[in-house]
Amino acid sequence: MTYQIADQPIDSSLRDHVVRPSAPLLAAMLCGTWLAWPWFAFNAIAMGSPTRRKEVALCIAAFVSTGMLAWLVIELFDLGWIPKGAPLRLALLGLTGYKLAFTYYIELLQKRTFHVYEYYGGPVRDARRILSAGWFARGLVLGLSSHPIWGIVLDGLPGGM
Amino acid sequence: MERRQISVLLEQADVQRRLGNHRGATGLAQRALSLDPDHAVAHAVLADILLDARRLPGAGIEVRNALALDGHDPYIHRVAAAVLTAERKLDDAWAHCLIALQAAAPTPDAFVLGAQVRELLGDPAQARELLREALALDAANTAALTQFAQLERRAGAYDEAARLAELALEADPLYRPAHIVAGHIDLARGDTESAEQHAKFVLQGDANDLGGLELWAAIRARRSRLLGAWWRWNSWMSLGDDRRRVAMLMAGYLVAQIAIIITDELELDRLSVALALGWLGFCAYTWFAPALFRRMVTSSLDAVRLDPEF
Repeated sequence: MTYQIADQPIDSSLRDHVVRPSAPLLAAMLCGTWLAWPWFAFNAIAMGSPTRRKEVALCIAAFVSTGMLAWLVIELFDLGWIPKGAPLRLALLGLTGYKLAFTYYIELLQKRTFHVYEYYGGPVRDARRILSAGWFARGLVLGLSSHPIWGIVLDGLPGGM
Repeated sequence: MERRQISVLLEQADVQRRLGNHRGATGLAQRALSLDPDHAVAHAVLADILLDARRLPGAGIEVRNALALDGHDPYIHRVAAAVLTAERKLDDAWAHCLIALQAAAPTPDAFVLGAQVRELLGDPAQARELLREALALDAANTAALTQFAQLERRAGAYDEAARLAELALEADPLYRPAHIVAGHIDLARGDTESAEQHAKFVLQGDANDLGGLELWAAIRARRSRLLGAWWRWNSWMSLGDDRRRVAMLMAGYLVAQIAIIITDELELDRLSVALALGWLGFCAYTWFAPALFRRMVTSSLDAVRLDPEF
């Protein structure tokens, strides 16, 4: 049996669906986290990443923690602690920054394995079609619920990157 | 028998590493470790290969395995120092350098690595001292001469740097790192033609030589101010690790958005629009400039013909 290096990806039957980690990162900006975070999780599994459990856990944690922060902002707004106008916009910007930090962190983690995966000749799929589909589906997904938490957690970056 | 087989595999792995065949070298080291997973030097050799292949997380794990199995081998400490230097844990790296240098017969390589660490720690005087010791052991050591030239180049002593690079090239005219340093010295002196000759020589020998490609890109950046600005910006952003780069980008994004929100609320409409457009322009520039720069470098690389022996 060959010695397995700790950073070496394991074989996976989903290898043909692996994309560059920059694709889900771009999806977070253009389409929303509804596409980006599950895509990161899928990519980690498809790549056979040695840190896939951590990556999947981070994606789940990103949804849960952003939801909790969004709930907190809405509660504070309802209580009048965060007034309408600039303070509310800044609070929402803080949430966007939090989502962005999470997304970049997952991308950095996944990029390390991706370099090794690519080094061993792993196939990489073009992500443009998925990104385009995500862009068109964005309105549909965000329109599924009118609850503000839904929009805050799942939307992309206001103002673009 | 097994021990002999492992040492042959490790020797072959080291030869392949020096030839730049990282995948082959990794496979050989893995075969050695399959025979004996507790072979400390095999872990260190694998760490050295992974470091060369820029697989830092794997190199870190392998060298820590090696140290856990044998904490006395100077070679393992030298590799540990190299890995920790790449991880930018410079004080720890220096501690391992000291152990490697206190060995019964320290190699010039250990002095060169020590000099690298001291320079990164902001101590060029001791770095020079260590390089002199390396050259006292072997006056024609190309790695030491090249490192010395690099040190003097960074200090702005171009004449001394050029003299040392020339000595390194006299000792081994095919030594690519010396050509890269010589190219950077020429570039700093404004002699782009000579710098290009050095870069071409390096890339003819190995089209994937990272230092050679970096020199080539630096020459192109010098020739186009707009794209050169991106190159400088990108080089500055890449000074630390990825986390620093992301933190800088995030900070830039948040500052720009906060400024837009505040100016908007203060009804400074023109300033708000100017800020929004400025941010958009920055995004567009940093989005398109790398692609244009890459295209420029790639098309100019077509002029480089590979050595038939590549």
